[in-house]
Amino acid sequence: MIDAQKTIVVTGIGVVSPYGAGLSSLQAGILAGQCCLKSASDLYPGFQGTVAAVDALPSMTEVHRYSRTDRLAMAAASDSIVDFTGPGSILRESGIVMASTVAGLTEIDPEISVGPSEWYQHGGLSRAASYPASRVAASVGEHLGILGPACTVSVACASGAMAIALAANMLLDDAAPMVLAGGSDTLCPFTLSGFNSLQALDPEPCRPFDQNRKGLNIGEGAAVLVLETLDHATRRDARILAVLRGWAMTNDAFHPTAPHKDGFGLALCIQRALEMASCGIEEVGYVNAHGTGTSLNDIAETHAYESAFHGRSHPVPVSSTKSYFGHCLGAAGALEAAITIMAMQSGALLPTLRLENPIESPMIDWLRGELRRQPLPVAMSVSAGFGGSNTALVFGSHRA
Amino acid sequence: MKTTLPVITGIGSVTAYGPLAGLIPTKSLVASLEPRDITAWSTPGLRRAFLVEPFRPASIVPGLKTRRLDSLSAWALVASSLALRDANIDLGPVDRSRIAVFFATGFGCVELTLAFYQSAAANGWAGTDPIIFPETLHNAPASHVALFHDLRGPNVTISSKNFAAESALLQAASMLRHGQADLAIVLAGDTLTQAVYEWYEVAQLLAPACFNQEPLSSAPGFVPSEGVVAIVLESADRQAARPYATLGAGRWAAGGDALAGVRKLLGDPQPCLIICGSDGAPCAFRPLTCSARKLVGEGATIYPAQPVAAGMGEAGALFHLLLALSRRPASGQALLLGTSALGGYAALRLELF
Repeated sequence: MIDAQKTIVVTGIGVVSPYGAGLSSLQAGILAGQCCLKSASDLYPGFQGTVAAVDALPSMTEVHRYSRTDRLAMAAASDSIVDFTGPGSILRESGIVMASTVAGLTEIDPEISVGPSEWYQHGGLSRAASYPASRVAASVGEHLGILGPACTVSVACASGAMAIALAANMLLDDAAPMVLAGGSDTLCPFTLSGFNSLQALDPEPCRPFDQNRKGLNIGEGAAVLVLETLDHATRRDARILAVLRGWAMTNDAFHPTAPHKDGFGLALCIQRALEMASCGIEEVGYVNAHGTGTSLNDIAETHAYESAFHGRSHPVPVSSTKSYFGHCLGAAGALEAAITIMAMQSGALLPTLRLENPIESPMIDWLRGELRRQPLPVAMSVSAGFGGSNTALVFGSHRA
Repeated sequence: MKTTLPVITGIGSVTAYGPLAGLIPTKSLVASLEPRDITAWSTPGLRRAFLVEPFRPASIVPGLKTRRLDSLSAWALVASSLALRDANIDLGPVDRSRIAVFFATGFGCVELTLAFYQSAAANGWAGTDPIIFPETLHNAPASHVALFHDLRGPNVTISSKNFAAESALLQAASMLRHGQADLAIVLAGDTLTQAVYEWYEVAQLLAPACFNQEPLSSAPGFVPSEGVVAIVLESADRQAARPYATLGAGRWAAGGDALAGVRKLLGDPQPCLIICGSDGAPCAFRPLTCSARKLVGEGATIYPAQPVAAGMGEAGALFHLLLALSRRPASGQALLLGTSALGGYAALRLELF
């Protein structure tokens, strides 16, 4: 018996990605196997690499007040409520949980560290106002007239999925009638330079889970999911896109940047999310993996799946859609949650691009080559990040 | 003692009052805390703030290594250790995967973010420092807390315009109520750097007391402060060794009518104490106190917002709570009430022991 007041459903998805604005452009691009990763050399002097950029942002007014990260978030959030029907008070009282790691870093120059006062006095003051991470959620609220609880989660690359998990908790607490949850991050010299200094970037298009993988590519984008209880969605006659059946968060407590090589923390996270979803390991039809393409992440993640799905009668289908448009950092978990739901709705097992020599694992069905079609009643999205944080989300299809 | 609500059982802090386990001693509260002169920056003119006095973390927490960390991470490690010590918790037999860490911050690891920008200014973006980069992430302090104490539960870092600490408290309490963790360490804090201070200064947000030796007044502007406050929050079914308070319902919102939202929390019995918090200027203190009085009438005690905590901005609510508890209020129902000059509110019900 489903408790409609404790069941969290997704009733809207908004996306801005390197494919363009809207879930439909993302869906068309991914189902066609189109890769958005491109060679770039102009992101800062000396940079040579491969990235995926959002070429055109939807137009909006007063853009000077907002960072590029804010604007991506605002555009995705607007898109998420395009089909919203119901009293305006619902939207006004809704909550917002956004995720970002870059946030307003896009607006700050290195000169701030040399002479802060001078930098502020020469145009930096208004740009610095968009620096705090909290601005991402606040910008969405200002843009859409939402006055409910708002916060920004910043937990490295697990942020986007974590925002969705925390938003679900807020709904269980009746903290708001709906919560817009997602993530937004943009290409900026600070993060590109940081990952480059760590020698974590693949100069060519990345190859997640390939034995010859050489690192990650950075992308940019934003995704926002509209979450509410099944009871609330039913009462306002909303179209239900998916059920968020389970979620969990753990930490490796192992190393400031590296995941635990055996994937213990991530495996526990997956197990807890499945437990919350009352979902057996046999039921999971697809895992949208974190799959960055770095040496350490992909092997740890492989071990995590082997542990979490141990005893399953057939290999679990896994792919990384970062091979299509890179790693969107704080937005990645939200974008991949959107892709997971899209895959369920399309009945499509999405292949990892350029996966020629997968990491050997008899327990994992590495999706590659042609897109596979099959019904997907249950699918999972998995995220991890620097600092050891992991998040797993279990989605199920909704039967009215 | 058993209750059905999450219980605060430990407090640790690193603030202008120094590193402390538990409450702030009465003698420290009675003495007027004045801003200190800032000597670390080679800039002309006097500048003052509520600063954390330098100390050696390993002298407070034996074995703690903080050489490569920024102040925020180091203080988070010290404050969390002191809070666990105050809660008298032996982590040995505890399932560490059931312990969550929540960290609330406005600016995050701004010291090392600026250091990273410095390396870019000096060497170009192609020559930045790989050691510094991971430490610039907002979640670095929370992940260091997890690493040091081997805490493998949820690890969340939150920023919320005006109400980061309140958001972290509410999210942590929610996680405990829903059985996703048994215990949470909730931290809130920020560090003050020259770039942050000059931001406030150029924006003309600072109080006159920042630039002269005069005592604090009700003049517009605020005095920046820094530090980290940590609390241990335990689930209802754990035996609370020495509870300070239970955490009840809460609400927070980005905007709208503050009082309308807060009234929903008043219920029965009405709180006999309102602990006011504010994110900045003393000019916002009086309206908040007036709002609190309107809510509860003359029968309740109101603790006004304090400059030393208000200067911590988004993360100030936990500091306000520490200050209020340190004044040894009578037991009973209380409300932690925050507001901001920018609108919105946050309110949490507490039962004090």
